Amino acid sequence: MEDLVTIRDLAVRFYTYEGVVHAIDDLDLDIRQGETLGIVGETGSGKSMTALAILRLIPYPGKIESGSIVFSDRDAGDELDLLTLSEDKMRAIRGNQISMVFQEPGAALNPVFTIGDQISEVFLLHRRQELGYQAKQRVDSLLSDGNGLAAGLKRPFWRWQRRLYNKIAGESHPVEPRLLSRIPLFRRLLWRLRDEASLLTVDMLKDVEIPDPARVAVHYPHELSGGMKQRAVIAMALACSPKLLIADEPTTSLDVTIQAQMLELFRRIKVDKGASVLFITHNLGVASEVCDRVAVMYAGRLCEVASVEELFLHPLHPYTKALLEAVPMPGRELQTIPGALADALNPPPGCRFHPRCPSALPMCEQERAKLKEVSKDHMVACHLF
Amino acid sequence: MELRAYIIRRLLLLIPVLLGVTLFIFGITMFFSPIQRATLYVTNLRQLANLPAIIEQYGLDQPLVVQYGTWLGQVLRGNLGWSNVANMPVSEAIWHFLPATLELAIFATPLIILIGIFLGSTAAAHKDSPVDHGTRVVAIVGWSLPTFWLGLILLMVFYGYFRGFLPPSRLSIQMDMVVNSAEFIRYTHINTIDAILNLNGPVFLDALRHIILPVITLSIVNVAFIMRLMRSSMLESLGKGYILTARAKGLAEKVVVNKHARRNALIPVITVSGYLFAALANGVVITETIFNYKGIGWWAWQSAFRLDIASVLGFALFNAVLFVLVNLVVDILYTRVDPRVRLGGSVQ
Amino acid sequence: MTDWRFMARQLARNPMSLMGIIIIVVFAIIAIFAPLIAPPPEGHWNPNPYMIPRDGYSATPQPPSEEHVFGTTEGQYDIFYGVIWGTRTAFQIGLVVIGIVVAIGIVLGSLAGYFGGVLDEVIMRITDIFLAFPALILAMAIVSAIGPSVRSVMIALAVVSWPSYARLIRGDILQVREEDYIEASRGLGASSGRVILRHALPNAIYPTLVMASLDIGAVVLAAAALSFLGLGAPEGYADWGQLTSFARNWIVGPPGDSLKYWYAVTIPGLFILLFVLGWNLLGDAFRDILDPRLARR
Repeated sequence: MEDLVTIRDLAVRFYTYEGVVHAIDDLDLDIRQGETLGIVGETGSGKSMTALAILRLIPYPGKIESGSIVFSDRDAGDELDLLTLSEDKMRAIRGNQISMVFQEPGAALNPVFTIGDQISEVFLLHRRQELGYQAKQRVDSLLSDGNGLAAGLKRPFWRWQRRLYNKIAGESHPVEPRLLSRIPLFRRLLWRLRDEASLLTVDMLKDVEIPDPARVAVHYPHELSGGMKQRAVIAMALACSPKLLIADEPTTSLDVTIQAQMLELFRRIKVDKGASVLFITHNLGVASEVCDRVAVMYAGRLCEVASVEELFLHPLHPYTKALLEAVPMPGRELQTIPGALADALNPPPGCRFHPRCPSALPMCEQERAKLKEVSKDHMVACHLF
Repeated sequence: MELRAYIIRRLLLLIPVLLGVTLFIFGITMFFSPIQRATLYVTNLRQLANLPAIIEQYGLDQPLVVQYGTWLGQVLRGNLGWSNVANMPVSEAIWHFLPATLELAIFATPLIILIGIFLGSTAAAHKDSPVDHGTRVVAIVGWSLPTFWLGLILLMVFYGYFRGFLPPSRLSIQMDMVVNSAEFIRYTHINTIDAILNLNGPVFLDALRHIILPVITLSIVNVAFIMRLMRSSMLESLGKGYILTARAKGLAEKVVVNKHARRNALIPVITVSGYLFAALANGVVITETIFNYKGIGWWAWQSAFRLDIASVLGFALFNAVLFVLVNLVVDILYTRVDPRVRLGGSVQ
Repeated sequence: MTDWRFMARQLARNPMSLMGIIIIVVFAIIAIFAPLIAPPPEGHWNPNPYMIPRDGYSATPQPPSEEHVFGTTEGQYDIFYGVIWGTRTAFQIGLVVIGIVVAIGIVLGSLAGYFGGVLDEVIMRITDIFLAFPALILAMAIVSAIGPSVRSVMIALAVVSWPSYARLIRGDILQVREEDYIEASRGLGASSGRVILRHALPNAIYPTLVMASLDIGAVVLAAAALSFLGLGAPEGYADWGQLTSFARNWIVGPPGDSLKYWYAVTIPGLFILLFVLGWNLLGDAFRDILDPRLARR
């Protein structure tokens, strides 16, 4: 089975007022089908940027300089380089085949729309034909069951609606409904689509274990707790059964107790939906709970990739080792990593970590090590190997 | 019903403010002599002939507190005194001049709001582009324009240079006769609306021709204000997290900006509408004066100029009460628009 | 907190604020050197240099000539003299009114914001009452009560403007009051006055600066409007609004040369526009700099 996502030679630079920042350099990474891959690193390591690069949502003044991100597309059945796709096609993938969950659910949700509306939006965008078909079915049943004067009067209207929804169901860009949706007043005539989307939304909310989903759907984000909001955001991301779910520090802003529930949810997602998850975090403990494999990044570069047991039991890269050492343990003095994060504007030549590395070799200052497979499925970028 | 309780509560809180307003106005009247103040109480010309009687009747030489009480009583009964300028009681004068000003407001307000919002959103969506800088310059210049000067220049060009193309006043002389004739029914005294209701094309066009310049004069200064506000509000909105979410959902950029960003950006603009009312009230005085457009603003200026204090104070009082009510409406509107500020409690 | 030097540098970078500063400086120079640029003629009909010299009594404005560089108004007042000395008037009105208003605003606003409670409520209700009136209208009422003059214009505008500042400063103090360094200084035993003056105010004052610089323009505009309406400077006084009011009857020239008297309207108005523009550019730039959201990294 091929990998779901193959990233090669990714480079992302930020052209700021002060200079060029190398956010990501030389990144080679694979995300396999059905796995949960964790990216671990400090702030500024480039982990969030990797996520945004996959979705091509790098904000100004950043630019994806080079590289390729190959994604095996479910619908087309072949492989696509996401970095060369047209914006239209990319938008068809966002929220649909690849979706993202962010760190602050409160900030991620629009305060003036209800939860239900925001989730339905995804269905209305990517599942329009399906919704059209469902709507047509309902009108059909109205036409066949309707009796009496009131029904008789409404019949022509229903027949027209049926034609409308049939068009939506059949063709991909029907003219009539599109014209309608432009004129604000007439947009209401497409309300059946909304209704169908709402049904799917409530189902989705149920899936993420939100109690009383129908009632929650009509509430606004500020009326929900942090955990609920995050579940809603996850529901929004999972709505169209994406093949890849990217989660950028989804539990960081939550209570520890809620965190545990959330991680349980992620584990279940893995099992139920069969989606791959790219789980970004700075917390090693969290990574160990959810991930199958873990990648460690430092200053925009990949240091080490291995299965979660391998990484924790046999860490190879000095940075990984230092990270594991730094986890606070009772009865022991707090270990820190000396030095400070490399200056992103003027990164040190050679290995970015070498100024802080206890095992640095002379060559580390000149040359960067390439990612090498050192043991089964365990890759490191370090001259020590 | 939460909303009803809120309105009642606000109206109750309004009373001390309104009382304060009346007290303030009354304080100003004390700057005038009793003879001058007599005009505050009379309702027809004949009464003025007998000043000592007036002073006696309304106790204009009594202690302040008593006077205030008397005056307040009169005001609450609708007696705002006599307007020399209008040659009718002040309260009547207000009704007489109001339609003209309303007509201006009806045309100017939507124009200001719509253009301001449109320009502001465009500037924000194309930040730092020539469009943005251009609109910004236009906004600042517009904001710095003296209203009266703009009016004069517009008249100079469109009335003087272009030979009476867009004239001052409300109607030309012929149309004025038509409007005052028996065949023309004045439903609202707002010329454009009455013209439509009377199915009279020429009057409508004439009224329109006369109203264009005043409306433009009124609008330019205020459009600048709304535009700047909308721009910064949009920029703030576009920087928020939910915009990234919207893009990550695969929404087209147009939808992201128009639906998600704008809805949030409009909220501060709505709260500012109350100030727009005040700005219009100010602008109307100058604009009507320049264009000889006989509305409340024109009347207010004439009164101030000729020291017709009953009129000036009546006008100020009217304005203050209206302003306070408008703010109340805006506040309620605000709760409707921003779900976070609903009046009731929340769930969970 | 922003460093003054940093702010000055930012102001110098921004082309708009630079232009605003240049405009203001030019006007300041004009104001300071007014007696040299437009000296009162000998035999001036009025010892007060602020009264514009007249060259005859004809009602028809005269076009720009060698003698009268900008022409004359109705009544033969020299426009050039008027706008030059009018610059002084504008600065006077703007700075005095804003100065008074900011002072009152600071005192009342700090008291209300810092001490809260009944004092706060009372002050807020009072501002509510003042704010219930559209500014120009209240100013009109006050000026007609006291009697029109430049001084009454200043008083009226001050009375009308102070509530906004009091509210603004109160809001800022409220925000700043909760900050830790305020508690810290109180913990160290500083008196309320000291806390307000040395700690709360300096941090709360920046939005006020923005508003103040924008408002100088607004005050001058309002004063010009009042004078234009005849409710301000007396006839013949060197005030831009007053000068413009002379042009009211002359906006349309004789048929065939309808723009004949353009100078009577355009020139004084242009001065007002540029002056206000300068302050608005400055205030706008201030606002952009102080906006934390726009901190570019």
